[in-house]
Amino acid sequence: MSAFVSVFVLSSLLAASPSDDPAGDTDLVEVSQTDDEEEPDEYGPFFEDEAPSDLEYLGRARPGRLPVLSLGEGSFCFVEGTYCKASLILSADIGAGIRAPASDEGPDVPYAQFTFRGGIAIRPAMIRPRKRKAWGSWGVGVVSSWSKGTGAVSFGSDDDFGDAKSTDATTTFRVAAINQMWLSKRNHAAHLDFTFGGARSEVLTSGVTLWGTHAEVGMGFGGWGGLFLSGDFLDRDTRVVLGFRGHGIAAGPIVAMALAGLAAGGAL
Amino acid sequence: MNLSLILTTGLLALQPAAETELQRPSDSAPTTAEAEAPAEEVVPAGEAAPAEGAAEEATPAEEVVAPAEAAPPADDEPAPSEVAAEPTETEPADPAPTATDGERYVVSAGAGGPPFYDAADTVALRARHGIEVEPLERTEGPRWRCLVADPACGHSFEVNALAAYTYRGRQGRVDGMGEDPRWSSGRAQYDFWMNLPVMREVVGDKLFSRMTLGPKGGLIFSDGGSTWGNLGMAFRYWMGRGRWAPTIEFSSALTFKIGERELKDAGLGDPKWKMTRGPLGFTADVGFGLGGFGAIVLGGQYDSPLAREEIPDQYRTSAGGAFFVGFRGNILWGGPAAAAVATHAITQRRVQAP
Repeated sequence: MSAFVSVFVLSSLLAASPSDDPAGDTDLVEVSQTDDEEEPDEYGPFFEDEAPSDLEYLGRARPGRLPVLSLGEGSFCFVEGTYCKASLILSADIGAGIRAPASDEGPDVPYAQFTFRGGIAIRPAMIRPRKRKAWGSWGVGVVSSWSKGTGAVSFGSDDDFGDAKSTDATTTFRVAAINQMWLSKRNHAAHLDFTFGGARSEVLTSGVTLWGTHAEVGMGFGGWGGLFLSGDFLDRDTRVVLGFRGHGIAAGPIVAMALAGLAAGGAL
Repeated sequence: MNLSLILTTGLLALQPAAETELQRPSDSAPTTAEAEAPAEEVVPAGEAAPAEGAAEEATPAEEVVAPAEAAPPADDEPAPSEVAAEPTETEPADPAPTATDGERYVVSAGAGGPPFYDAADTVALRARHGIEVEPLERTEGPRWRCLVADPACGHSFEVNALAAYTYRGRQGRVDGMGEDPRWSSGRAQYDFWMNLPVMREVVGDKLFSRMTLGPKGGLIFSDGGSTWGNLGMAFRYWMGRGRWAPTIEFSSALTFKIGERELKDAGLGDPKWKMTRGPLGFTADVGFGLGGFGAIVLGGQYDSPLAREEIPDQYRTSAGGAFFVGFRGNILWGGPAAAAVATHAITQRRVQAP
């Protein structure tokens, strides 16, 4: 009997454990989820908007703007942007570096060039979170460029400068595939560009035009400009150039002023 | 039996304790937000700021004052309630302390809604802490979407044009023939600047750039068709927050020759412009300006020689340099661009390099 009573008492005590804690008695705070669409699907720095700040510049850009110079709210942009699905690449650049022939063909000489480049890039893997702009980190495309650079110097042997020959200029045509990695979701975000393709140019002073390899690594700020390090690797003729480029819209005024000065000075 | 009692006692001990009487804000007592406002009512004007730090440490016991304890005090406003207790407890019979050192006491309990201070109180508070009595907080924003540099811009992009008088020189010829020529010329330079704020100033809730630094690149033209590219850095220090604030600018860049008009072709007719190789040189300049519109610039440039042993004599170039003084400005307001284009044109037509 006493054992039965004890078991009964124990069972009653266990059953009487409170199951519902009032919110005010614990530190737990219940989060009510009223709308499924408000729950973010993605996490991490790439998918979170910047935290708002109490401080701001008077000249702060207005948020929520569409990609600049675009059609269809970013379906096609004339200036590459973070939220563009397809973009036009149009730039002018200048750079300098070194031209290094094969060891017995001629000396290493400085090399400078200016280039006009055009192409198109798309974002094949756009992520479309709810209530947020579609965005993709990976861009891929094709670019083509034409450049004019300084000439080459070559000679038959190191001891005989009498056979030294040179060219006035070097013209190069390139076709390449471009891979982009966009690094943030800012409006004009920084992106890394890796370009690989072919270059067709006259090799040294031979007068023969051959195809070679073109490779480039660069960093851009939206579609407005950036820096690059590129190389053209032809038969016995290697050129490595470090330069900067600007979008046609940004470089246009500079080119126009330069041409105006040359024309007014009678050089054209 | 004993075991059952022990187990029963243990289970009773494990049961959650009865709910303690926690003090909660009731409907009649002021809430946290409301407690701040009535607490501020009795805070003497000008006493809130110093009292926040001192009162917390000196009078922790003052927290027993009822209005403060009814609601958990906010982290940023524990003192007003404590300060409210001070005059109440220490000077219950003195309604209005005399003003000293420019301070004013305003007892405005029941005098209506906030704010319970006026412009004179703000001036006295700023004077006590050494803050500008009348801060010149700029309200108008920059123009041209920050394409003209402005301290109210976080980062900006600009295109500048420089028109300058330059004194050029060449260090003779590498084969020892000829003299060291010196001649006066002109210089036109077009640069793209990217300005990033590296030192910012906060005024109220507004940010202003005090110092900017960023990459720059562009083209340089001089007589004889000399054309260089340049890539470097640009620095600007703002001595104010207005659109026309004085500035100190400094820029430097690596230069590389792109082309020039061949002198040896002069006897065969008009010399033609051609791509010309040249080793890296550098250019640097310092400027004093007004806003982002223009600056008086003083600078120089040095071109390295190309004279290695393996370079044939006919392809070697000698060292050269230049000093220049001129005016550099943003192209958007037209003047600098027109001056640079005119300088470029006049230099092409009038200057003949020796």
